[in-house]
Amino acid sequence: MFNKKQSPQNENNENLQTNSSGNKFVDSLKSAFSKTKTVCNNTYLRLRHRGHEESYYYNADGTAKYDINRTLETKKRKFQMNQNLLAFLVLIPAFIFIILFMLYPILNSFIIAFTEDFTWVDGSGSFAISNIINGNSGHWEDMSAVGGEGMVWVEGKYPTSFGLGNFLYLFQNTSYSINLFGQTIGTSLFIKSLWNTFELVIIEVPLTIIVSLLIAYFIHKVKFLRGFFQIIFFLPYVTNTIALGMVFNLLFGSNTSGAIGGGLVNTLFGSNQQWISSGAPRWAQGVVIVTYALWDGLAFKILVFLSGLSTIDKQYYDAARIDGANASTIFRRITVPLLSPQILYITITSFIGAFKMYTGVRAVYQSQSTYFFGGAQGVEWITVVGYLYRDMKEINPLNPGYAAAGSIILLIIILIITAAQFAVSKKRVHY
Amino acid sequence: MEIHIKDLKKVFEGDKKKNIPDTIAIDNFNLDIKDGELVGLLGPSGCGKSTVLYMISGLKEPSGGSVFFGEEDVTHLAPEKRGIGFVFQNYALYPHLNIYKNISFPLVDVYVDDYLKSYKISKFCKLIEIRNEIFKAINIVKNRNVNDKKVSKLLIIDEISFALNIPFSYSKYLFKFINKYDFNLDSFIKFLGEEIDKEKKRYHKIKLEVDNENFILKNGNRIKVRRKINKDEIDLRVREVARIVKLEDLLYRKPNEISGGEQQRVAIARALIKSPKVLLLDEPLSNLDAHLRLETREEIRRIQKETGITTIFVTHDQDEAMAISDKIVVMSKGKVQEIGKPQEIYKNPTNLFVAKFLGVPPINLYKGYIKEHHLYIGNELLIEKEIKANDLEVIVGIRPEAYKLVGEDSNVGLTLKIEKIDNSTRNLIVVSSSEFALNEIKQILDSNLEGIKGVNKFIVNQERMFVFDIKTEKRIEI
Repeated sequence: MFNKKQSPQNENNENLQTNSSGNKFVDSLKSAFSKTKTVCNNTYLRLRHRGHEESYYYNADGTAKYDINRTLETKKRKFQMNQNLLAFLVLIPAFIFIILFMLYPILNSFIIAFTEDFTWVDGSGSFAISNIINGNSGHWEDMSAVGGEGMVWVEGKYPTSFGLGNFLYLFQNTSYSINLFGQTIGTSLFIKSLWNTFELVIIEVPLTIIVSLLIAYFIHKVKFLRGFFQIIFFLPYVTNTIALGMVFNLLFGSNTSGAIGGGLVNTLFGSNQQWISSGAPRWAQGVVIVTYALWDGLAFKILVFLSGLSTIDKQYYDAARIDGANASTIFRRITVPLLSPQILYITITSFIGAFKMYTGVRAVYQSQSTYFFGGAQGVEWITVVGYLYRDMKEINPLNPGYAAAGSIILLIIILIITAAQFAVSKKRVHY
Repeated sequence: MEIHIKDLKKVFEGDKKKNIPDTIAIDNFNLDIKDGELVGLLGPSGCGKSTVLYMISGLKEPSGGSVFFGEEDVTHLAPEKRGIGFVFQNYALYPHLNIYKNISFPLVDVYVDDYLKSYKISKFCKLIEIRNEIFKAINIVKNRNVNDKKVSKLLIIDEISFALNIPFSYSKYLFKFINKYDFNLDSFIKFLGEEIDKEKKRYHKIKLEVDNENFILKNGNRIKVRRKINKDEIDLRVREVARIVKLEDLLYRKPNEISGGEQQRVAIARALIKSPKVLLLDEPLSNLDAHLRLETREEIRRIQKETGITTIFVTHDQDEAMAISDKIVVMSKGKVQEIGKPQEIYKNPTNLFVAKFLGVPPINLYKGYIKEHHLYIGNELLIEKEIKANDLEVIVGIRPEAYKLVGEDSNVGLTLKIEKIDNSTRNLIVVSSSEFALNEIKQILDSNLEGIKGVNKFIVNQERMFVFDIKTEKRIEI
């Protein structure tokens, strides 16, 4: 701050006597504080020194009067501006990453999804908008149609068109089949992947919530070895997905010859069930995938439920005991309703996670080739995200439009289901 | 239900590793409570009064001693089997359930042994039985605008239930008919009769009969069943209890939508719904503001008298305990100091703690001594009366209201210097000083002595003055 001797900071009415020349006044202050900047605004004089600012009323006769209100106001304004600026500065890195890696790609894939015969050349997909405005810089021609071999890149402007072609593609071609309540129906691979995903979601999500809730409840209740159990159930969270998949490969291994044993599960139960080998039945592979996904996601859910359980007031349990409620009544009528915010959170995240399931399935089949999802055709348990990857990388590497369209359908499905959950939660969740 | 507590003990184990010794929370607690009594456990915080209550309820296991409900030893019985109602300090109302469901919570999932009954016929019979009162329901419907939202319909049905003292489902059925514009009571009763006959015929077809009390007979015998308490029974009971605690209008609110006093009443209603033999209240008024506290304590008294349930309540507020209890148990440091009727304890404390704890402003204490069978404070003779004990250092306790101004020439009395006059609504409260005082001296004097100041001499009412042994702190008879 200013030195008190030179600055009448705390005394409102004291005037600064100066010579008739304004410059001299400024000069005298400058000599007093070498780093002081002065700004003359008509009749107000603002003195700055090391970030501090004071306002003086500068009379025409050359006298200046310290103005405390104006000083405080400036200070306040400056402080608020600094706060806003600081907040923006802190947010900028996150903004950049969100825009660059989340918002823009979503926008871009919307454009790609609605662009028919979009052609991917050397990362041209990153600016899909330019393909639409300028057209593709060339196109791939199928040489096999004219007796040649493979695809050949032909230079030259090639117009692109807007439309629903990519979406239609996903539902054409019924060379794959699903088993719908005992009836075999021919469908496209995308519908098969959707069907698989729905199956996994419907089985896995309720199962994972019930299992994790029960485990959390018992960990919460048990006093003996609680820490030990917490560690056991939290281990999957810190374990690598692929490493877990390897363990599951060993657990569910089998002898291709049909002999008993081969993996831990078969050895324990003395069976010769084929679990994840290429000859395994569909349900067996499904069991392994669901078990894997369950185990993988359990840790986090248990953690959330445990934290929720610890916030429930013990008096409710005391009151319920006095009221004569048994353990199941207490669990159903008190624990679950009071835990409903956590249950809602876990339900929504589990649904979204299950709809996006890919690594789980891949980890189970990791001993096979990259885009193998079980079965004779290699797509027995393909999920939607699995389909997107497979289509973009292996089937149509030159046109990401199909994958983009598929991802948008997935997005819409997830949005609808999440909205439905929120609608239900308004009645059922007690905050 | 009589309650006998014998040598109750509670020890909280310490930790030898961390050098924390065992804490004896309750030591040798003995108490006999008569049927229908309202007993207050009074003591400063941390004296173990809540622990006693929790041990009576069974939520805490005693380390020793026993609790008898009547003849039955319930010391190790689970709380739900003791037939008690418990009101927690912060009520512990289930926040996700409305008041109705909170109150009815103890009754859901409860099984009873009963005979199979035709509930439909019971409903019709009940409606026929109360036909003379149906006009009340008609009036309620007429006075209300039925075309409002669904909620108001629910409230009308609710009101009918309360007015006619019938379950919700009965009044809903009734409402359906009354709401028709051509409602006619006689034809309604006739219709009910026809319905009963129809129902009976249906039973007859499967070779069952229905007797006069609507129980179903198979080969002339009632059929034994183990069933849940049904909704109508719960409903009647909830309404009965809600009427006792005056909560009729709030049944469909959530606990966070009602006031503290109302929450308190809900907690009491929930404790009462199972018709407990013993009602336990843990600091029932501590979460209420001063005005509500006065109101609610009278309410508790009224409910207790109305239901005649043996009640024990815990409080640290002497006013509360004095105002409503039949019997007070003064506790300190895990031990019973005195048991008795409120005024008796005040007038006749057995030891220094009880004398100090009861009374506002607190009792004034002086260092005194007994010499030649007379009581002195300083070198002043306090009373003329001769005392049995002799040559003893004592603490003299004088109630603030026991002073009376006398002239300087009086041969007995106590000289005090008046320091300050506190303004109070009714009395003149004077803060005085004496070199022999052990605490702040507050006197309650006649309000006509308003101008009093300086050094004055007072004589002391012997009935409001107690003498305690300085070492044992026990009272000495004078």
